[in-house]
Amino acid sequence: MYATYVIWTRHMRKFVQHTEEIVGLALQSVLWVVLFGVGMRGMISNVGGSDYMSFILPGIIALSALGGAVGGGMVLLDERLRGIVKEYLAAPIPRLSILLGSAASTATKALFQAVLMLIVGLLMGARLAFQPSGWLGALILLAIFAIGFSGLALGVAAISRSIAGYHGLIFLFNLPLLFASNALYPLDVLPGWMRVIVLLNPASYLIDATRTLAFGAEPTLPLWASVLVLSGFAAASMALALILFQRSLRA
Amino acid sequence: MSELAVETIDLVKRYGTLTALDRVNLQAPMGCIYALLGPNGAGKTTLLSILTTLLPPTSGSARILGFDVCQQAADVRRRIGVTFQEMVLDPLLTGRETLDFHGRLYRLPAAVRRQRIAELVELVQLTEAIDRSVKSYSGGMKRRLELARGLMTDPQLLVLDEPTQGLDPQNRVNIWSYVRDLNRRRGMTILLTTHAMDEAEALADQVGIIDHGRLIVSGRPSDLIAAMGSDVIRVRGQGNFNYVAEVASALEGVSRVETDPADHLALIYTDNGSRRLPAILNAISNNGFAVEDVTLARPSLGDVFLHYTGTALRD
Repeated sequence: MYATYVIWTRHMRKFVQHTEEIVGLALQSVLWVVLFGVGMRGMISNVGGSDYMSFILPGIIALSALGGAVGGGMVLLDERLRGIVKEYLAAPIPRLSILLGSAASTATKALFQAVLMLIVGLLMGARLAFQPSGWLGALILLAIFAIGFSGLALGVAAISRSIAGYHGLIFLFNLPLLFASNALYPLDVLPGWMRVIVLLNPASYLIDATRTLAFGAEPTLPLWASVLVLSGFAAASMALALILFQRSLRA
Repeated sequence: MSELAVETIDLVKRYGTLTALDRVNLQAPMGCIYALLGPNGAGKTTLLSILTTLLPPTSGSARILGFDVCQQAADVRRRIGVTFQEMVLDPLLTGRETLDFHGRLYRLPAAVRRQRIAELVELVQLTEAIDRSVKSYSGGMKRRLELARGLMTDPQLLVLDEPTQGLDPQNRVNIWSYVRDLNRRRGMTILLTTHAMDEAEALADQVGIIDHGRLIVSGRPSDLIAAMGSDVIRVRGQGNFNYVAEVASALEGVSRVETDPADHLALIYTDNGSRRLPAILNAISNNGFAVEDVTLARPSLGDVFLHYTGTALRD
């Protein structure tokens, strides 16, 4: 859709001009990897054969994409509350393209952050598998994942009446996503009930697939399942966002 | 295509139990400037939101340039330009980027966009500021940029919601002259809302008075005013307004008396104001009514508003 592309370029132009946002995102990425990664590494030397930095890097990348999705939702909420979204609504473009434009720019920012984190991670001792097609595959999955969480954040942004309300709702799903995933610990050390929760979390599939594709770890979940779950998640959450967005326009 | 740029039939919008629009039947011919005049909260913005396809009506129908706003929303959107009551501008973009982005949303080719931007920047006098970011603009400049944005797609109908709200007198007059120019030179149909009487008087070929969600009366301002009578004596004072109405109505040459006690105002319509004034003042200045201020004038749109709504138009 052409309108999606136009809205994406507008967000990107603003992103490029907005030095604070770029520096903020970059620093955030670096700090995550350095502080968290190094701190945890002091405690755990290796997990299932790979060093802890390589183990934890996919998780940190996935979680920072979550942060990006929250920010993308914020942009829509801000535009909604200030009425800016009306410019799009009065234009002859599909409603979905407004949401997809936001999700696409969130995904782009997540990729930018991921590449930065990978570089820092490598400098800190993570070992990437030498298979460029795997790197590419992991980045594509990351983009799909980012679109999926953008959908959830955009849906929440569509129904929130205030910025505080938005953050309250977002917090509800942000925290469990971090701890109820395989980001920090491997799946097989978890008790059965928690494993079920972890397997309901799309982040787990991205993290596992990234470990396999980019870092050459042994997969604990089949790759095809990860692709399927992430694609289904992205489609479902964008559909949800569209329903909530259209409902908010009718009131 | 019909001769009407805007036509609504029994348009109703309800929010729960609140009726924002109550069976509005509005007709604005092609090529005119139509002003919807009413106080804040009268339903003007709700009506514009429906006409610009942002909001579906509860019942009734609306056609813009012959296209139904619900069934043919995309056709409507392609043909209209809109400015909203709030400033709807991205502070991080420059003026030029704002216009260019808008043109791209409507899939205008690059060459057309470049040419239109050059023309419009000239029209709204933003030549020096156009490459600065919008956050450095004053309120008047932002309004002008929004006007230019609404014109980027060369719309057949331009919809302006409170186009001069919050502007200083000089900027208001500027906006008025652009609007008049667009209408006279390009034949563009313009639908605008305002709660300012002088704005409607300065611009409108057709005016629709809206209050409490109902379109109370519409027509050419001169016709509406002429229907009020020849002269009006506006009396401000304290006391019993029923008494004023009763006494004044009985006098010779007085055709009608309207009172708005909340505003301490009585309007006395006469055949000849200057001749009847002494007798009228003499008659009403007794029995506990104290006259504070009297003006004699030709009726205005404000008097039309009071006549049809029963209250004076307040901001």
